[in-house]
Amino acid sequence: MAKVTLENVTKRFDDVVAVDDMNLEIPDGEFVTLVGPSGCGKSTTMETVAGLTMPTEGTIYIGDREVTTLPPKDRGIAMVFQNIALFPHMDVYDNISFGLRLRDFDEEETDRRVDDAAETVQMSGMLDRMPSEMSGGQRQRVAIARALVREPDVFLMDEPLANLDAKLRVHMRTELQRIHRELGTTVIYVTHDQAEAMTMSDRIAVIDGGELQQIAPPLTCYNEPSNLFVAGFIGSPSMNFAEGVVGPNGFESEHIDVEFDPSTLRVNEGDAVTIGVRPEDIYPTATAGSVSHATAEIETTTDVLEPMGDEILVYLLLTEEAEIDLEDPEAGDQLLMSVDPASDIEEGQTIRVALDREKIHLFDVESGEAIAHGLVQPTQAKGAAGTEAEGDD
Amino acid sequence: MATEQRQHEESGDHERDVGPFTRWVQSSIRNPQRAYRAMFYVLMIFFLLTTLFPFYWLLVLALTPTEALSNIGLLPNGFNPGAFVDIFEILPFHVYMFNSFVIALASTVMVLLIGSLAGYVFGRFDFPGRGALMLILLTISFFPPVGFILPLFQLFTGNVNVLGISSPMLFNTPFAVLLPAGALYMPLSIFILTTFYRQIPDGLEDAARIEGTTRIGALFRVIIPLSAPGVATAGVLTFIYVYNEFFFSYLMTNGEAENWAPILWGVLGYQTQYTAQYNLMAAASIVGVLPVAILVVLAQERIVSGLTSGALKE
Repeated sequence: MAKVTLENVTKRFDDVVAVDDMNLEIPDGEFVTLVGPSGCGKSTTMETVAGLTMPTEGTIYIGDREVTTLPPKDRGIAMVFQNIALFPHMDVYDNISFGLRLRDFDEEETDRRVDDAAETVQMSGMLDRMPSEMSGGQRQRVAIARALVREPDVFLMDEPLANLDAKLRVHMRTELQRIHRELGTTVIYVTHDQAEAMTMSDRIAVIDGGELQQIAPPLTCYNEPSNLFVAGFIGSPSMNFAEGVVGPNGFESEHIDVEFDPSTLRVNEGDAVTIGVRPEDIYPTATAGSVSHATAEIETTTDVLEPMGDEILVYLLLTEEAEIDLEDPEAGDQLLMSVDPASDIEEGQTIRVALDREKIHLFDVESGEAIAHGLVQPTQAKGAAGTEAEGDD
Repeated sequence: MATEQRQHEESGDHERDVGPFTRWVQSSIRNPQRAYRAMFYVLMIFFLLTTLFPFYWLLVLALTPTEALSNIGLLPNGFNPGAFVDIFEILPFHVYMFNSFVIALASTVMVLLIGSLAGYVFGRFDFPGRGALMLILLTISFFPPVGFILPLFQLFTGNVNVLGISSPMLFNTPFAVLLPAGALYMPLSIFILTTFYRQIPDGLEDAARIEGTTRIGALFRVIIPLSAPGVATAGVLTFIYVYNEFFFSYLMTNGEAENWAPILWGVLGYQTQYTAQYNLMAAASIVGVLPVAILVVLAQERIVSGLTSGALKE
């Protein structure tokens, strides 16, 4: 077991910077998920830790050892691959024991460890099967057992569940969490699936364009995103954004105004800012009474309704002419609202809504950095902006 | 019904007027499958005759007694299976066979070993000039061997000096045959192995390296076992080529069995300046061909699948 440290790691391919000056410190025993859109450099980051790719610049430590130029076999790591990568010409036993046999473990010890690992992933009794005779989930378990059996310092998992069907994925998610709890090994996990990132990790590292955007516990990333990218990436359906300026009485834009005292925040009058608010923090004014800090009412027209069972997603148009563009929910003149499934809401209805000011995020347009989380006046709110404690799942 | 019957009668009348060949042509036009099948049999019989008749003729020769070796027809003039024993008594033919076998096997091992490393690099790395290098390699393999014979002969007889050290005396050793023959056949093997090694997913190699092998270790433990049909194809083709090789086998040894002369010299050994014992030469040829024939029969499925699956991605 060991901590993993990346110092100023940069990886350049011919003309692309895949990883840009990445600094990460992952303490011993932590489950960290690298998450980001396709091509953001999360897999490359993991490959530099694995030793499959040499970083162009920077240093990598596993424990106190510098491993930047060591070959993968000498790093004390094990990896589970997206395409599972079992050796097709070996049976389960040979696959799991491959690394042990290479390291000249004696037969008894090898047998004992293979049995233990197979039991952990609930694959005992299938040791003589060939990979081609197993289902996807079974193969993935064998791949995990192959990683477990060497008792590595660090586990690397590169989208291990991506090729499994939805139901199995949820099941394997809990299995992996159970294994992590049992072993307490440091885990670095790469995924683009938010649900995996949110549910499994101790901390999430959000990566975009090869740069680390935020590393924090899942709920912190959700409730206090450090910039526009994290705010838009974490959470599904994603956050609503509206661009505007800071006026004398707070945020002003074409359709939405939010009152606050600019002097209490790090903004000046006239600054271009963006507010972000999650669909579940928008309320029809009929039920807004329960919200202690609501904004002024906004008149909207409902467009498409998406009943999800536990909620209804309502697309709201802010102007008559606006058209819903499902591809780009960040276009300024629409809002996505989540309402109670019991509410009687219809398409084409005119409805007045309000935003929960405690849950409004304020970002600087130019840098994208978060300025405040929760636009409640300090005099009215219990705490300062950005420290609301309640979880929001 | 009625019209159908009339048509049938009409055509029946028509067929009675013409000869059998015209009738066959007419039925073939109506049913082209028959013509195709006929063509298939004609071609197949032609190829079978041209390939198998020489072997049959060798057998006829071998079974004919020495004194009846003139005016041989399609059947042997007598029956003398003793020729198959005589060949081992007059010359140590088994030693010649052993020599050929060792030379072919050693060059196969050499080609597979070096070819695997080269195939791994060509198949799994992207480097500038890869295509050009492969082309040069293949081009060299198409050179006639005679283009190399003078410098190679100088080299293998110790007549080349580099920095005062003369080249090793390889004439009359197996190396004098297996090195040039293997080298000339290496490019094709590299080409076959490259196409196979390229198809092994990167993930498997990565997994092997994470599990504890080096790159070379991953090549031998994962990539080569998974490319077995390709390796078998390259190996069998190389073995057959070197075993059958004439040019260097003839020139790079003085023809003595103890000097690693291959089968070729054994077969030619039954003729002297004034006599030629064709029956013994034929018997020796048949015995010499047997190992390769057996190898091809055993490996034919592998070879065919290897040659085609290299060209087609699944």
